[in-house]
Amino acid sequence: MAGHLTEEAAEALLRRFEPVIRSTRGDKFYPMDVEPYVRACSLWVQRPGEGPLCVVPGGKLSLERLPQQPLDEAGAVHFLRFTDPRHIEPGSGARLGRLRRGAKDLKESRESFRAGRGRLARVGYVSRFADALYSIALLARGRVPGEAAAAAAAAYRRIMGGHEHYRYHGRVLRQGGWIILQYWLFYPFNDWRSGFFGANDHEADWEKVFVYLSETEAGEVRPEWVAYAAHNYTGDNLRRRWDDPELEKVGEHPVIFVAAGSHASYYAPGEYLTELPVPLPRSIARGAGALRSFWQEKMGQFAGEHEGRGGSSYLSIPFVDYARGDGLTIGPGQEREWEPPRLMQDPPPAWVSGYRGLWGLYTRDPFEGEDAPAGPMYSRDKSVNRAWYDPVGWAGLDKVPPPNEALEVVVAQQKSVSERREALRAEIQAKSRQLKDLGVEAAAMRDRSHLDAPYQETANRIGELSGEVDGLRARLAADEAVSESLAEYANRLRAGEREPVRGHISRAHRPASEDELRVSRVAEAWAAVSVSLMLISFVAIAVFEREHLISMLVVSVALFAFVEAGFRGRLVNLVSSANIGLAVVAALVLVYEFFWQLAIAAVLILGLYVLWDNVRELRR
Amino acid sequence: MEADRTSYRPVRAIGLLLILQVTGLAGFGVYELAQVDWRGIDLLAPPRGLAEAVAFALFAPPAVLTLLSALSFLLLRRKGWLLAAISQGLSLAVCLWLYTVLQPYYVYPIMAYCVLMILYLNSHDVRAMFHVRRGAEERNPGSAP
Repeated sequence: MAGHLTEEAAEALLRRFEPVIRSTRGDKFYPMDVEPYVRACSLWVQRPGEGPLCVVPGGKLSLERLPQQPLDEAGAVHFLRFTDPRHIEPGSGARLGRLRRGAKDLKESRESFRAGRGRLARVGYVSRFADALYSIALLARGRVPGEAAAAAAAAYRRIMGGHEHYRYHGRVLRQGGWIILQYWLFYPFNDWRSGFFGANDHEADWEKVFVYLSETEAGEVRPEWVAYAAHNYTGDNLRRRWDDPELEKVGEHPVIFVAAGSHASYYAPGEYLTELPVPLPRSIARGAGALRSFWQEKMGQFAGEHEGRGGSSYLSIPFVDYARGDGLTIGPGQEREWEPPRLMQDPPPAWVSGYRGLWGLYTRDPFEGEDAPAGPMYSRDKSVNRAWYDPVGWAGLDKVPPPNEALEVVVAQQKSVSERREALRAEIQAKSRQLKDLGVEAAAMRDRSHLDAPYQETANRIGELSGEVDGLRARLAADEAVSESLAEYANRLRAGEREPVRGHISRAHRPASEDELRVSRVAEAWAAVSVSLMLISFVAIAVFEREHLISMLVVSVALFAFVEAGFRGRLVNLVSSANIGLAVVAALVLVYEFFWQLAIAAVLILGLYVLWDNVRELRR
Repeated sequence: MEADRTSYRPVRAIGLLLILQVTGLAGFGVYELAQVDWRGIDLLAPPRGLAEAVAFALFAPPAVLTLLSALSFLLLRRKGWLLAAISQGLSLAVCLWLYTVLQPYYVYPIMAYCVLMILYLNSHDVRAMFHVRRGAEERNPGSAP
């Protein structure tokens, strides 16, 4: 396996570990080859301040022609259009019929999908309001047209009717001692919003799954890690070790549970709550953070479930990813088999490296959620995608040496720490000597009035040097502990011991538990109507109880909050939050009413404390 | 046994503080009622003292809840945090409402006591004793598309 990988070797490796995909019933789009997709698309360019311009009409585009576009002015965006009804079947009267069939397919698929307990039943009022605002904002933002999903379903059906296929795009590369198998899955459409109550719809969807292999001295490869992409997450939490019980496998093929519509990949079947963070303005976030820190650290108070998370987002819009695994299964020995992969070996093919535009409709959505993604190599802003150029760092594996190199790395690090300790010892010795010299000098100059100035200077230098030596000794002590630890670690590695299988995971994606999913119909109905009901009750109070507006509003909010908290099992949080609010108001009232008395009492208490402390010292 | 006794010390302390609160409330109530001249009441124009004494009855429900939570702390040990918190919240709500309407003198000491009790009940150590926090693994991570 050493050296450069031939295309045959790369394909053989990809096929050996190719994933098994378990989709969710109701999903309509599956991983396909890019070639027929591109052939069905038209190519457009959007220049700043102008309307979109068709560069290559539908039916005339090919993978070869895709990257052959001239450079365009700054700010111009090239994009494909898959669902433009004019290009689904030019000049054919059957166009409407196809759209209808696509819509019928979608309806059938949605009927086969049952959302179960809605996402709104799992989240609180603030998020529900934010969700309502988000939905309203969609009307103003650029968005994929409503009929796009039906048109995409029709186009996809046409392509699959011509040649039913399921294909991934593969790339094998080496980085940091790892061999990385990249499985890039292309879906023609993401119908998460229109089909599965999700955040967005967009044409084209690139998802990815990476398998990380180590290589033995004999040249054998061994799977060590996998990383599944889900939304924009990166880092340690994405990856699982090959022997992690959470990672389901069919032989040597990792199993992916694909979320309906969004096509996010998960390790276990279930329903995942995914949050779209709404960032607060920086100044407010900073103020809230300082307040939380004061409350938690100075006052010793409990700061809620988010204690210690330190996130700047206090508000998020929840969505549910349905990755149930009860739909079509694709993979070796499954309902549908993979076709041979389309390779993207380095140097990448021109359609990968030469086309930096979007792979579907550009809606000019300021949040980008409704814009199509760029290709596997690029981000929407045309920069190179990290998952492409640094797949090891993308999954947080850049700090983990491959097993065959681990011992070597530890020994090298031991040597490096040992050298550092030697250097520290030498520096401490030299500075200690210098310190003694200065000490002797200072002692000689003490009480000599004509040497006051140099004495002071020497004394200052002694203080500085002493601090430096202290710091060096502390570093040496720490390095000695590190050195011992490295020696133990090296012994553990020699004995064949491994790190805990989930030691790298700080916050794993976890599907909703049975308890969380088990909810009465009343709670579900309450979740659906409560926000509207509360707004209506506000209006009713404003109209009929204007005399007691404030008190009635407070009582109604308290009632709604109490019922809500009861349904969601969060009474403790509600009561403690309400109590804190009441306590703050009451404390302000007390300060307002008794400011001088409180000030006098505080001074008196301070005086008495100082007196008591001094008397106690005297009596010792 | 020593460790067990030490770990329940704050629970007993809260129980005793709650009993003290109930005693104080009862004391205020008796004092208020004793101040009213029941024979010379003019029902058409009731004196302010009578209104304040009657308004004190609003503290009866939270006082009962406080007593129940105190007993549960002392007898059942780790039960009753929610009840104690609700009773403190109710007492404070009553105080604040009376403050806006009548401003009787007794709301101030009750308010001060409740504020301190709320801070104590919500302090990290006490909360940690009553509520086992869910681990990091149980939470879902943030940030979608």
